[in-house]
Amino acid sequence: MPFFNKKMSFLIQEYLPILILFFVASGLACIILGASYLLGTQKPDTEKVSVYECGFNPYEDSRNKFDVRFYVIAIIFLVFDLEAMFLFPWAVSLGQITSMGFWTMMDFLLELVIGFIYAWNIGALEWE
Amino acid sequence: MKVNQNGIYFSVPSKKFVNKKIKMDFSILFQNNLKMFLPEIFLATSILILTLHGSFIISSRHLGFPLIVRSVSKLSILILLLTVFLSNNNSINFMLTYQNTFMFDLLTFYVKEIILISVLLCVFIFENSIIRNQINNFEYFILLLSATLGLLLLVNSYDFLSLYLAIEMQSLCLYVLAGAKRNSSFSTDAGIKYFILGSFSSALLLFGISFIYGCTGTTNFDSLSLLLAQPDSTNTIFSLNSLIEKALLCIATAFLFKIAAAPFHMWSPDVYEGSPTSSTIFFAVVPKIALFAIFLRIFQSIFFIFEDVIVFALILFSMTSVIVGSFVALKQKKLKRLLAYSSISHVGYLLLAFASNSLEATVSLFFYLVIYMLTSISIWSIVLSLNTIENQKSPKTLIDLSAIAVTNPILGFSAMVAFFSLAGVPPLAGFLAKMKIFTAALGASLFFPSFVAILSSVISSYYYIRIVKTIYFEKNQRCFFIFPVSYSCALTTGISTFFLIFLFINPTLVLLITQKMALCLFLIKRCLS
Repeated sequence: MPFFNKKMSFLIQEYLPILILFFVASGLACIILGASYLLGTQKPDTEKVSVYECGFNPYEDSRNKFDVRFYVIAIIFLVFDLEAMFLFPWAVSLGQITSMGFWTMMDFLLELVIGFIYAWNIGALEWE
Repeated sequence: MKVNQNGIYFSVPSKKFVNKKIKMDFSILFQNNLKMFLPEIFLATSILILTLHGSFIISSRHLGFPLIVRSVSKLSILILLLTVFLSNNNSINFMLTYQNTFMFDLLTFYVKEIILISVLLCVFIFENSIIRNQINNFEYFILLLSATLGLLLLVNSYDFLSLYLAIEMQSLCLYVLAGAKRNSSFSTDAGIKYFILGSFSSALLLFGISFIYGCTGTTNFDSLSLLLAQPDSTNTIFSLNSLIEKALLCIATAFLFKIAAAPFHMWSPDVYEGSPTSSTIFFAVVPKIALFAIFLRIFQSIFFIFEDVIVFALILFSMTSVIVGSFVALKQKKLKRLLAYSSISHVGYLLLAFASNSLEATVSLFFYLVIYMLTSISIWSIVLSLNTIENQKSPKTLIDLSAIAVTNPILGFSAMVAFFSLAGVPPLAGFLAKMKIFTAALGASLFFPSFVAILSSVISSYYYIRIVKTIYFEKNQRCFFIFPVSYSCALTTGISTFFLIFLFINPTLVLLITQKMALCLFLIKRCLS
């Protein structure tokens, strides 16, 4: 199996950091969760232990009518969430990408703002 | 100053910075790329401005919340006209841009022109139908223009990533267009059906792309064609041959889904029937040519060493589409469903030309696409002209066509010409297109598939002739009032009827253009092999 040959192991070279990250992350998660489970004082009640579902009762009939405005807000939230995802790497690498990179992001933001103005104008953000 | 391989100048740093990281000025590197994208940039900017314009006007209290569909439709016609002019001014014959993710050659040039003109004609003819259907959202046109933008980018894309993004852009807009009539449950149903099946096919496409990326380590068409151009055993790619074949079959399946070829056609009649007529016209006329152009590029000039597998699959699906399209359409009574099945059988003929895989066959494929587009524009504008008081609410059936040769002889004649051209009756352009496809298929020794296609074409000519019989000889007992044919529909029908007759007598111009388009695909192939 040339793929797992240690000398030319492309797999190990590329994925070893990910493996280390995986172990560190799962170890850290176990420590934090275990510590808060063992050391904290616990007074459970129904509201505390039930699943959090944005203000809805999690266990009821799924055929209920559901206000479409939730979807609209969720979509707008998603767009701005993704915008932040693009903005962070852009901000970090701003030194290397010169004016072209800068103006590309400005163009993206402009288009996003136009979408936002549109959503505002047609009343998608209003909740009475 | 120094010249890089694309012929673009970039500045080389002076001696004392040599050890530091070289910082390239991207704005100089990309200056020609922006020039190539001028029509798309214009279209995108116009879409944004139209969004702002529409949203400010419809929410304005002192204008009294006006309905602006008519004015926005006029504006979008203007935008499309200017985009046609801009893309016509393009003077560069071949160029790869944005790190080889987009490419420009004569094929993309002509396909983009054809797409833009067909969208223009669509908007031109269905303006009145939108108002009659009470689609009062100006967003309809914004989505239409965005779908057009997605199609233009799709034709240009030269990388699987840009291809996927462009396909998603156009199909997301098309899903919303299918469900544009919000108060009709048929339209919502069509939108959801189209969305679910369309996203399934997109998932298949992504699956195939990920396999190809896993095997070759690149998604770029340029790198892929160079990588696969060396057909010998020293190339390690060929140990992964069978995996790439499967990946290509996934991609082909996604493509057949999008163009509604037979085993994957189930969405198309329902979507055609349920969505408002204006959206149906757009689905029927516009996206096919863009999809065919990009997938011909993938299968014929990038992955041409795998052509055995692809050709086998395409022959199979071509035969099923031709058979399903002609047999199922025999029982249809609703006009839109009938036209949907007729488009499935035409996709079958196109796939036959695709599978023949020669220069002549590709020329005939593009020729057929252009003629088919012209014929469908004619037929749909005739369908839009058949408005009586009774059929305003209900879907149009074949009965609505009865005796229009008596009430409106010119409309009846145009309808006859259009349906005969679809059937492939001699003194019309449809016959020429069909004949070219069959000669190309016979030239590629596809005897059995062309035999099946010709037999099915005989069967399908039965229902076209039945329609012509309904137009000319059916007696209509009822008394009904027909709305006058709108100016735009009359103009479009007239022009396309003229071309359907004229292109039989002198098809030189279209043949020349299609020859150039096909050569773009085959030149690369011959250079590499």
